[in-house]
Amino acid sequence: MPLVNIDNVHKYYGDNHVLKGIDLRIDAGEVVSIIGRSGSGKSTLLRCINGLETYSEGGIIVDQMEVTDDDSQIRKLSKSVGMVFQHFNLFPHLTVGQNITLAPKLVRKLSAEEAAETAREVLQKVGLQDKFDSFPGELSGGQQQRVAIARSLAMRPKVLLCDEITSALDPELVGEVLKVLETLATEGMTLILVTHEMNFARDIGDRVIFMHQGKVWESGEAKAVFANPQTPELQTFINAVL
Amino acid sequence: MSAFTDWDILRNLLLAARWTVALSLIAFAGGALVGLLLTFMQISGRVVLVQMTRLYVELFQGTPLLMQLFLVFFGISLFGIDVSPWTAAALALTLFSSAYLTEIWRGCIESIPKGQWEASRCLGLNYVEVMYHIILPQALRIAIAPTVGFSVQIVKGTALASIIGFVELTKAGTMLNNATFEPFKVFGFVALIYFLLCYPLSVASRMLERKLHASG
Repeated sequence: MPLVNIDNVHKYYGDNHVLKGIDLRIDAGEVVSIIGRSGSGKSTLLRCINGLETYSEGGIIVDQMEVTDDDSQIRKLSKSVGMVFQHFNLFPHLTVGQNITLAPKLVRKLSAEEAAETAREVLQKVGLQDKFDSFPGELSGGQQQRVAIARSLAMRPKVLLCDEITSALDPELVGEVLKVLETLATEGMTLILVTHEMNFARDIGDRVIFMHQGKVWESGEAKAVFANPQTPELQTFINAVL
Repeated sequence: MSAFTDWDILRNLLLAARWTVALSLIAFAGGALVGLLLTFMQISGRVVLVQMTRLYVELFQGTPLLMQLFLVFFGISLFGIDVSPWTAAALALTLFSSAYLTEIWRGCIESIPKGQWEASRCLGLNYVEVMYHIILPQALRIAIAPTVGFSVQIVKGTALASIIGFVELTKAGTMLNNATFEPFKVFGFVALIYFLLCYPLSVASRMLERKLHASG
């Protein structure tokens, strides 16, 4: 049984048919990059995987749980699926430590000590153990995004969804975030990334999904897809971004 | 006829200003209490509660405060209940300020970026937890400055209570003018006292806004 099973998913925004029958199976430990033009439906697909967006038809099963927008289901899913956003979405009124410990305490019912212990561990992993008591506003964009990754990791997810997590960063800060992702990948974390970092998708990713007009247009082993695109649409896209 | 010295005028006005202050405080406290309740109804997400709150806010924002005072003052007596001008004024101003405060606070809550909701949901927080831990603490910061700013409107609004016979600063001014026939002097003092009450509030509101935004 794959960790993420997406079965013939359709989604409409009004009359706009944004996902046209997506089928996708992702196994534990895979690093999958979803690439494509803006408007191709890649972010929408990612947001469907943890219930942030509803879908109209088909089914999504993650870690043997059906994805619905039901409150209790979303709470259960949060223990298996983490998400990191383009704009970090850290809680600005809480310290880094509080940002990370809040959900483990409320949702996973950890004690304050256990949660703090977890927070220190995940901060260590992203190389920010000295920022426990800082506020997000005091950190650089790259550091904030690493805290956001740590916050997701503290929930012990089985899969991490990354929605263009380096797109809002200054170029010189992109590297430190990608390095964290690379570490996670080598440790066996399942990653699904919507990304414009083509080098990362090619070198670190196992598989690349090229989306076009709401469909999985082309997919395959990462290096092969870039080296040998089969469709003119992917050819054009690769020429435009590389 | 006994002559009023300037000091007599000022002393009587200041004594009456105590009632302006008292009425303002009651209206603000009452308005905040009712407004808080209405704000929670508004963000409850339950359609009936939201629409009721909406109607309430529209009603009190869409009619003059003077009419509200009349309706409370004369309306309640229709049911055979005797209301003093003091009670009527306090009640009407409470209703009036609660509607505006609800609107201010709703705006503050809605101004918290959607990403805060999404991040909280992904972490598995439920509605009440998101509100309590994430949205309200941030909205509260934003709300302080406009709330203090609105208190200026309440202070000035109390002047209308003079029409139903409540003796506060404006009413005292009218009465003193009738005795002294020195409208410019009397109402000059009246205006000065209102200004001294309101100006610190405006300054505080501006300072709070700058402070909370700079560190935001």
